[in-house]
Amino acid sequence: MADKKEHTIEKKKLGVRDFITVGIFTAILFVVEFACALLGYLHPIMVAALSVLIPIVGCIPMMLFYTKVEKFGMITIMSILMAIILFVTGMGYLGAPITIISGVVADLIAKSGGYKSFKKTILSNGIFSFWICSNYFPVVVTADSYRKDLIDAGYSAEYCDSLFAFVNYKTIAVLFIVCLACGCLGALIGKAAVKKHFEKAGIV
Amino acid sequence: MMNSMIEINNVSFRYKGSDEGLLQDFSLSVKKGEVILLCGASGSGKTTVIRLINGLIPHYYPGELEGDIHVAGHDIKETELYELAGVVGTVFQNPRSQFFSVDTDGEIVFGPENIGLAPDEIIRRKQEVVEEMNIETLLGKSLFELSGGEKQKIACASVSALLPDIILLDEPSANLDQTATADLRKTIIKWKKQGKTIIISEHRLWYLRDIANRVICMENGKIKNEWKGKAFSGLRAESIRNLRLRPLTVDNPFFERTNELTVPDIPDEDAIILENFFFTYRHIPYLFFRKKLTQADSDILSLNIPRLKLPKGCVIGIVGRNGTGKSTFLRCICGLEKTCPGVIISDGKAYKGKSRTDYCYMVMQDVNHQLFTDSVMSEVLLSMKEKDEQACEDILEKLGLFPFKDKHPMALSGGQKQRVAIASAVAAGAKLLLFDEPTSGLDLSHMEKVGQLLTDLSKTGSTVLVSTHDPELIEQCCDYILCIDKGQVGYYRVKEFCMCR
Amino acid sequence: MNIRLDPRTKLYMILVVSAVVMMSATTPLLWSVRIIITLVPIVLLIAEKRYASTFRFFALYITALVLTFCFLSEESTGIIQSLLTGYCGIIAQFLPAMITAWYVIRTTKIDEFVSAMQKMHIPDGITISLAVVMRFFPTIKEEYCSIRDAMKMRGITLGGGSIVKMIEYRMIPLLFSCVSIGDELSAAAITKGLGGKVKRTSVAVLKLSAADIMLLSGFTAAAAVFVIFKYFI
Repeated sequence: MADKKEHTIEKKKLGVRDFITVGIFTAILFVVEFACALLGYLHPIMVAALSVLIPIVGCIPMMLFYTKVEKFGMITIMSILMAIILFVTGMGYLGAPITIISGVVADLIAKSGGYKSFKKTILSNGIFSFWICSNYFPVVVTADSYRKDLIDAGYSAEYCDSLFAFVNYKTIAVLFIVCLACGCLGALIGKAAVKKHFEKAGIV
Repeated sequence: MMNSMIEINNVSFRYKGSDEGLLQDFSLSVKKGEVILLCGASGSGKTTVIRLINGLIPHYYPGELEGDIHVAGHDIKETELYELAGVVGTVFQNPRSQFFSVDTDGEIVFGPENIGLAPDEIIRRKQEVVEEMNIETLLGKSLFELSGGEKQKIACASVSALLPDIILLDEPSANLDQTATADLRKTIIKWKKQGKTIIISEHRLWYLRDIANRVICMENGKIKNEWKGKAFSGLRAESIRNLRLRPLTVDNPFFERTNELTVPDIPDEDAIILENFFFTYRHIPYLFFRKKLTQADSDILSLNIPRLKLPKGCVIGIVGRNGTGKSTFLRCICGLEKTCPGVIISDGKAYKGKSRTDYCYMVMQDVNHQLFTDSVMSEVLLSMKEKDEQACEDILEKLGLFPFKDKHPMALSGGQKQRVAIASAVAAGAKLLLFDEPTSGLDLSHMEKVGQLLTDLSKTGSTVLVSTHDPELIEQCCDYILCIDKGQVGYYRVKEFCMCR
Repeated sequence: MNIRLDPRTKLYMILVVSAVVMMSATTPLLWSVRIIITLVPIVLLIAEKRYASTFRFFALYITALVLTFCFLSEESTGIIQSLLTGYCGIIAQFLPAMITAWYVIRTTKIDEFVSAMQKMHIPDGITISLAVVMRFFPTIKEEYCSIRDAMKMRGITLGGGSIVKMIEYRMIPLLFSCVSIGDELSAAAITKGLGGKVKRTSVAVLKLSAADIMLLSGFTAAAAVFVIFKYFI
């Protein structure tokens, strides 16, 4: 009996292996984010498209990550790391609360399914994808005053509208929904890919 | 009991969800200060024994474990892994995955920091270890810039800094060249003099000759033979061979540098001619067009091969120390280095730039990087311009891969993966096949299989270039030997010529 | 000249710079505050002898500023002009944060960063994971380069025209490699005592030097000036 108890305690606590797993997948996720964000230099609309691109491109690593999650905390830590990395790479700190809160919520949802239920995983991944919106926060928060400044400085209103048409405090709600939807869709695609490759190869 | 460092009693082990790596009723007792060499074919249980002693079994790799293991007074089953950190140190096979840090300094102090030593003590130990192992020049560098041999030195230093009584080495020379392996020998001798208990699992035996006090040969998870060190050194070459072990001595004429540059005489029509293979790692600033490299740039060239003839349908072994340009040469041939102006001429046709990629195919050292699809069959079909399932099945049949055609390539063994890569090369119609150290870390049987495969490929008309550190492989299958030294052809000749020299 | 800053100072610099770029500069004074705090990381980069990147950042920043102030303030309705305005605006606004981030990433060793995190009482789990993230970027780069080479050799760089395949062929081998490296890395780290109950120590000495204190107070002052002049005067 005592033996069994010890066993469960050990299972609940995160170990070095879990931390390393989280680290690896966070690194991969950030590389995906970075690669997609480079496209943002092409046109502002690409910045808005991040909320579609990142969940879809990053779906395979995310779903592979979910197969390795068995304990509470891993998804939370991942979101904290993303918040830290985004801060250090100059994306500002305003998105950090959103990133971390969605991480905790995603973790709780996955936990309620015992980290096994695929339906919960889909939802969890959708919620987790909210971190992508923190990319927009610098632009969104400054948008209003920035736009005013630009117009004051003699910029055409037409230009300003095109710049901020896709990313502003109104569309941010839409972007959140897009993130959620693409996160869920990504979970389905990612799951299929994991099945096709990693389950078939017998490593998960 | 005081004298005995490691006691393994009647241990049986099976990995969770697998029937591989079985240990059966295995017992071993090691005295303080002993050096033990574990040898035997891949999958005979050597690594499992190492993992039993450092506690990764059962704490990291779960499975069914019976019997007791005591290491320096600790009952492994009841001891947490981190408590063993200062007791048992392990050097692993793969240099690229055993580092936690990015820089050399950080890696050496990583262990001591983990066990919470005072910073002054850590710095003292670091200095001691650095002096002892002569690695001053490696300090302050990024681990990602180091060669395999240098990485392995840092790995040894990092283990040493924890001052463990027991040091385990799991195929530490698998990715090393001859010189680096000889350095590893020196390190092990130093540890032996310090009275450490050392256990080495290894396929390459020559560099451990006369170091080991005891040699244990394993088979199917059991001890098959055991010798005293001296008795083992005295074994004859044939008996070593019969045990399916790699040779104890390598007197290699292939790796020595000679001044004679005997270029084999091959008629043009029977040869693949390589011209203008120049390459430099130096970054040359340019505005719009890069200046084409020529022989005139010889002082900055990392690779300088103006003209070379490769005989068709032969196996050509490329030898030379690490970092002298073997891999660079192969990469240039198959068109991976864009700045290399090299041209391949065969049957009057010239392949330049990108078209080199169609003519050649390289099987990389880490073959995992070149498998992309979800079945062996589709992997081969991917290489065919016109998908022809019948032809594909023929190729698989020839390479003995037919039974695996629907399996995921990554579910196969290392040797099978290599053959899948070869199958895709054949399917792509590559005439020149390049192999970058295909036998590193293999046991004798697997190495012989690779050698046989290379010979077979050359008999079907492909030309094979293989870079290697293994004299056994050259002896078995190469027709010509090309030595690359400082980016140039050191010598180039028919193998027989070397042998009778 | 070699200035070694405490990682905590560097993080504070990022914090201040990203706060300042969030607030738009409307008066010459505010612009000059912003430019001055941008110059700090640029000077620090020069002190680190990273001339090439410094020059690139500096040139980009100056160009963006000059274009914004001199040429594009008139009615600009053409597509090219409006795009250009957009870029310049964004560069002038967000480049300072990026330069600072670049400086911090280039000059901070992982163990320094980790020990700074420890000093700020961040839990071990996060510190370890973060160290792994840092260690893994170069690994991913190495692995990705090999995979890209292999793709070139087989002529499937473009995935046979399908974007899905393009991503799949890159992602799958990369993940296989990363997972196996991760497993071996964990095993190696555990045998070296990572994750024990003992409090980890560190040889990275963290002490606030005079330069640190100067920068900390300088950046605090700049932030204060910015806020006061923007919102209160």
